Amino acid sequence: MRRFVLSSVALAALLVAAPALADDAKPLAGKSITVLLPSPQGATIAADFEKETGIHVDLQTLSWDDIRPKLVTALIAGSAPADVTEFDWSWTGQFAAADWYVDLSSAIDADTKSDIKGSSIFTIGEKLLGVPYTNDFRVMLVNKKHFADAGITKMPTTLDELVADAKAIKAKGTVQYPIGLPLSPTEGASTSWYLLTKAFGGDLFDKDWKPLFLTPDSAGYKAMAFEAQLLKDGLVDPASTGLKDSQINDTMFAKGLTSIMISGEPGRLGQYSDPAQSPAVAGNVAAILVPTASGTTRSYGLLEALGIPKASPNQDAALAFVKWFTSKDFQIKNYANGVLPTRTSALDELNKAGKLQSGDALVEESKYVEPLFAQGTPTWYPQFSSAVNTAINGVAKGQMTVDDAMKSIADATQKAMTQ
Amino acid sequence: MTAVTAITIEKKRGAASNGDAVLGLILVAPIVLTMAALVFFPLVDTVWDSLHRINPMQPGTPFVGVANYTNMLSDADLGRSWINTFIYVAIAVFAETVFGILAAALINQVRVGRQWILAAVVLPWALPGVVNAVIWMWIYQPGAGLLNGILTVLGLPFDNHVWFNDRASAIVAVSVVHIWRMMPLTIVIVLAAMQSIPDHLYEAARIDGAGRLKMFTAITLPLISPAIAIAMTNGTVAAFNFFDEAWVLTGASLDTRPVLIQIYLETFQNLHFSYGMALSLVVTVVSLLVSLIYVLRVYRSTRFE
Repeated sequence: MRRFVLSSVALAALLVAAPALADDAKPLAGKSITVLLPSPQGATIAADFEKETGIHVDLQTLSWDDIRPKLVTALIAGSAPADVTEFDWSWTGQFAAADWYVDLSSAIDADTKSDIKGSSIFTIGEKLLGVPYTNDFRVMLVNKKHFADAGITKMPTTLDELVADAKAIKAKGTVQYPIGLPLSPTEGASTSWYLLTKAFGGDLFDKDWKPLFLTPDSAGYKAMAFEAQLLKDGLVDPASTGLKDSQINDTMFAKGLTSIMISGEPGRLGQYSDPAQSPAVAGNVAAILVPTASGTTRSYGLLEALGIPKASPNQDAALAFVKWFTSKDFQIKNYANGVLPTRTSALDELNKAGKLQSGDALVEESKYVEPLFAQGTPTWYPQFSSAVNTAINGVAKGQMTVDDAMKSIADATQKAMTQ
Repeated sequence: MTAVTAITIEKKRGAASNGDAVLGLILVAPIVLTMAALVFFPLVDTVWDSLHRINPMQPGTPFVGVANYTNMLSDADLGRSWINTFIYVAIAVFAETVFGILAAALINQVRVGRQWILAAVVLPWALPGVVNAVIWMWIYQPGAGLLNGILTVLGLPFDNHVWFNDRASAIVAVSVVHIWRMMPLTIVIVLAAMQSIPDHLYEAARIDGAGRLKMFTAITLPLISPAIAIAMTNGTVAAFNFFDEAWVLTGASLDTRPVLIQIYLETFQNLHFSYGMALSLVVTVVSLLVSLIYVLRVYRSTRFE
């Protein structure tokens, strides 16, 4: 009888304590948040997070280009577009000036900041406005089979070698246009020009924001002339004047219709290596170091982060999501969805396990990744980028000389700076 | 007795008149309130805001007078987008009106299955602009595009031709997509007007020896002119508000950029909200002024008839 009474008391105590213990493990269980990210994202993100934290996630995805207008319209009206949102590196200047996002500097621990080196791109003053979750820097993607078919055994390290190899592939007749290069008035055209400017050994602005691309011997000028020459030589498809970088990736490179993506995205390697997604090129795509005029590679980071709008009513649950999404374990898991980890530790672990496609090239290139703007992304970046891609489009269509293009970019930048 | 009766009748009339007035006010109140809340208040608010500097990257919203309007005069990209817009308006309104009237006249001749033809004709208008633009993007595609394919089959050198690399062909190509979407509305409006013309007018003209062309110019055109004006007004406003097709087909390209894309870029890319508001108001005023030309013309002809 005594044993029965003791057992009953113990069971009752356990029944009373169990929910409390569960609450301790999942203190925010029962809360709901909305998350707005670019498509595509892993199918099980919401379910996995809810299983671990008890927080329900309404995950909304939009194409990258459509996210910014949705964010801006909601934020200017003082409401939260979602509790956690995409936060691109190029928005940092504007969004910091508008003071729309929560400062995460005290919420994110020092180890995380040290492990995610790209955090500095999202830091203005002492404020950390976003935690990087996708490690987007530029490498060059090549179709190894096209190179081999043209009898090329060594991958290019200089821009001259790159052009020679592209001409050899074209001469072999493997593809009509061996180089994939966006020339439309879209962000992808701008980012390719930035990379080529670095490849020619220069930068866009000096420390006082004076343009460094106006003279014919400047890197930016040479990069623009280089793009025009590639087009003139028939190495780039003339239809690229109407194609975004994603379209060139999906409709040309992934289908084996072009051999080299000058401004390649490492995150796409998973997609290109998957026979189900890219049957035409699976097994033949590799990342190589960005060829430059000097032969020493250069690149820059275009990281994307997660931010929490100040207007979010669920900031604690939102922060839990940001921490979970940028944790080492999840980053390793999320690589299967084409998202390259931002944590050095996660990258190393994937590479050691042999799971990182072209891992050696990516790890090597990551050592040369610089910020595009040493002083931080300026508030007028969108106007500058728009002027750049409009000018590239004009040059590609033969409506502008390189000289006029460079002047138009400088004029538009000057105007944007004074507004 | 007569005077008392007269006063009573007058009182009853007055009461009835007051009752009618109250009923009238009750009936118009919903639309007046809706218009005030959703049109007039936002319009006045936008006018007021356009006189301030509203930029989330800068503190405060100081009054800047007409600075947002005077800044337009030195905006080269805006000037180019205005030129593009006027070209779109001219091409679209002309083509939609001329081909719309001709198509309506043809459909009006059909006696059997007219409703099916109308249903097919209306389809592009019923589809969203973005869907139409994507369909035409496939048609214009340089490699496997339908248009290049047809021209190549005909022996013309259009293999891999890029229609958007030349400003003139790009503007025409983008305009065609807009006309394709908007012309069905002109056809429907004009066809409805044509069907309301009494048959006896044509019979009388036939007895007087008038031919088909004479009947069209002397009877049909004058009687459908109010409908044409409505269709032209609609076409003008739609062409000034041109965005979807140009954005999908050529993005922010300066060659084809209409003023609405310029507004979008200024507002949502550059975050110059009050400048965007001022631009929107100018577009509204200009499109209304152009439309007013047709409306006044119809108003005069209606009053003089």
